[in-house]
Amino acid sequence: MLHKRIYQFLIVYAVGLSVLFLVKYGLNLSDYVIPPPKEVWITGQKYWLEYLREVLDTLSVAVFGHILSILLAAVVAVIGRLTNWVGSFIKMGAYNIQSYPIVAVAPIIFILFGDGIAARLLITVMICYFPLLLSFIGIFSEPVYHIEHFYTATHRLTWGLSLRIRVFENIAKLVTVISGSATVAMVGTIVAEFIAADDGIGYRIRIALYQSDLSKILTALFLIGICTSLYLLSLEYIGLRIRKRPGISAGSFS
Amino acid sequence: MHIDLEKLSFGHADSDTRVFEEFSHRIEGPGFNALFGPSGVGKTTLARIIAGEMNGFSGKVASSGLSRILYTYNLERLPDWSGIGEHFKAVTPTSQTGFLNELTRIFGLDPYLESRYAQLSLGQQNRANLTRYLVQDFDVLIMDESLANVDEGTKKDIILLVKKRFPDRLFLYISHNVVEVSRYCKNILVVRRPDKSPQILTVSGFDDMGEQEPERETLERIMLEMMNAS
Repeated sequence: MLHKRIYQFLIVYAVGLSVLFLVKYGLNLSDYVIPPPKEVWITGQKYWLEYLREVLDTLSVAVFGHILSILLAAVVAVIGRLTNWVGSFIKMGAYNIQSYPIVAVAPIIFILFGDGIAARLLITVMICYFPLLLSFIGIFSEPVYHIEHFYTATHRLTWGLSLRIRVFENIAKLVTVISGSATVAMVGTIVAEFIAADDGIGYRIRIALYQSDLSKILTALFLIGICTSLYLLSLEYIGLRIRKRPGISAGSFS
Repeated sequence: MHIDLEKLSFGHADSDTRVFEEFSHRIEGPGFNALFGPSGVGKTTLARIIAGEMNGFSGKVASSGLSRILYTYNLERLPDWSGIGEHFKAVTPTSQTGFLNELTRIFGLDPYLESRYAQLSLGQQNRANLTRYLVQDFDVLIMDESLANVDEGTKKDIILLVKKRFPDRLFLYISHNVVEVSRYCKNILVVRRPDKSPQILTVSGFDDMGEQEPERETLERIMLEMMNAS
């Protein structure tokens, strides 16, 4: 049985296609602008396997970049809360850099790193990293007063213990933030490939765009949607397992 | 053994309301004393000032022979990553292990040592929280509603155990329960609103040590004194 996330995507995709064909036949647009359903179907059958490989390639970069950005954000957020001034400095820096569109820096990255995997990975990490960092800093610096009080009063509160308490108490929030940033990672990788890479589904979409081949783009979008949904599903499953671990109280998720 | 509150003044930063207005009082120890008064009068604020957990007041809190003041309240929680027994072990000095075992038995926590804090009832949670404070090294322990939701029988056992075990320590017991305060406490410090002077009145309680049942008339008289004072 398909999960509701897959259903949701299929519904959205079907609605999008219907609107597209309604526009085509309503405005009497040529097959060159919007191909007929049969052509989209034939293109899909012809290219789905090749595009699936490209989507999986993109997804693997996105997942790897996502993991890297989670680790990096966690490490920097932990360092950031060690002292007040370092924390404030990192927070301020993250806010400022986050407000700058990282994609605009992408051409520089491609010039410096070439159009291989390093550039794609770096852009993915940069796009994912700052929103994660802000969330992590917020969570790691917010005391859980009712739990920490005893350890503070008895001089037992080390930075490691306070971090453990805060992570444990906010595990649901962290899982949500990480799941949310997975989509951002996928978007970042596709955008990077779209700009300059020579691999991945973003690159294929760029080629299809040059050929004005909407059928190929629609096939790519379908596969991207399915694969991203599956990735999000796996993250949600991991999150669910963590939440169901003994000791994670319902109160932790309020 | 005493705590001197000298010309204590305090008002919340976000309102013009004054909680304390230059009041002075000496809290004599040792013994099981109560902080009593209507809600919002400043009992918790005073307790936190005494415990050194609050700033922004003027005046002075001086104590003689009391170096370690602990404050515990009923909203505290234990982390839920392990059972309460494991938490107790982690925070109990080796010399207190025997006492810890005695406490968990009398507090009725022995069957729940493997349980996580969130799985306990409210009364059990309060007892678990108090247990870990009682095995610490302290001179003064302020118990803010620490025995709320605990049944009367267990509450009696706990208070009598604490009084017998720590005759040389000072306890400040915050509760709205007039009967238990009048029965078990030695001195009842009735905290009053800042427009009343003095802001703290002391009423002598029955100070039940478990040796004799208090007479009904005695308790009624103490309770009447408390109500008149507040």
